[in-house]
Amino acid sequence: MAGQSDPHLPMFTAPEVEFLAEDEIVEIIPNVRMGALHMICGDFGPFLPQIAVKVPLWLAVAMKKRGKCAIRPPGWLSVDNLTQVLEAERESPREFQALPFHYVEISRLLFDHARDDIPDIYMVRSLIEDIKGVRFHKVETGLETISGRTHAVKLKNLSAMEVNIVRPFLVRTLQAFYKHDSPQIVQPQGSLNSKRPQAADRGPRRDLRPR
Amino acid sequence: MANYYNIDDILMEEEPITSIFQVRANGVGLLDPGSESNCVEAGAKVDLPLWLAHELHLRQAVAIGVPPCFSQRTRKEVQADAACVDLRSRCPYFYELGCKIFPLVGDKSIGPFLLYTFTSRYKEILSKSHSAPVSTSPKYLPRLTQEETQLFKAAQWSIASFRKWRVGGSRLEKASILGRKRKPAAAQLPPAG
Repeated sequence: MAGQSDPHLPMFTAPEVEFLAEDEIVEIIPNVRMGALHMICGDFGPFLPQIAVKVPLWLAVAMKKRGKCAIRPPGWLSVDNLTQVLEAERESPREFQALPFHYVEISRLLFDHARDDIPDIYMVRSLIEDIKGVRFHKVETGLETISGRTHAVKLKNLSAMEVNIVRPFLVRTLQAFYKHDSPQIVQPQGSLNSKRPQAADRGPRRDLRPR
Repeated sequence: MANYYNIDDILMEEEPITSIFQVRANGVGLLDPGSESNCVEAGAKVDLPLWLAHELHLRQAVAIGVPPCFSQRTRKEVQADAACVDLRSRCPYFYELGCKIFPLVGDKSIGPFLLYTFTSRYKEILSKSHSAPVSTSPKYLPRLTQEETQLFKAAQWSIASFRKWRVGGSRLEKASILGRKRKPAAAQLPPAG
């Protein structure tokens, strides 16, 4: 729709971002014996029961669906760590805490498919929701400060999904500001073919300040 | 022109502009509904679409007046509370028209006015677009200009697709045509037998 109908706006859909996140490596504990898998992206395995092995998330989810492994949740997906992150997010209104780039997608995939492997899943899930809410609110307040003087926006530690949500809006906004704040519009330089100079209206120019 | 095939650009150039003929023009009486002969007198005030007014202006045939959407009255309203001004009813292509027309009328204050208007209305769009429910069309949407509407829709769409993804469910979508009832087609068939 809005973003996709315009070919000038590069844009991912949420399932596409999820697809990218599925390349992240997680640890699984297989319960079957299986030889090594040779993929284009690398070799994984061999799989031995109760021996932890690192595989991409898509493979982990596929094996989990068939009941052939348990997924070991990544270290950041624990109640202690997430509580700390949430507190830090609330305390620093300008900065984002370091979380994995694909934390939204990974956590959702694990909540959907590996519910029984995550300890305290209800707590973890509500913590992730809270963190997401706090961070998105921060993004919105950050967007409010955009003005005509903004040439670039620095968003450190922002995750893939969060960037993807604001991308269509942000790109259009920056384009509009760029257009309306270009020097030839704000301060027209001579070369005007007008014959009737009008009463100069200094108008609202004064109210604008670089932020 | 900036983009020949851009539909917004084309529609924007249809915007009527009050122009004053500087010369007497023969054979174009249909431009001026008030003229009795088939010509437009010098000094006649005629509403011309922007594309025509622009070309005639380059040939010094007409003088272009400032459109009502950039009048002092509108400016006062925008300065009072930009977000509440109904810009769409004044001109759906407010910003694009402003960018096009200010070199023609030689009013240097239009540029800063556009920027000021956009900056103050942008915050309103920002705060509403990401939190508004998707299904309903909010009542401030008719107030937005074309460009602002696109901005609003872009934000609304991205947040909606994110919510849809998070809720999950089937990845396969049913084509809208499949959900229709087949009754009307069946009713048209002649009764069998």
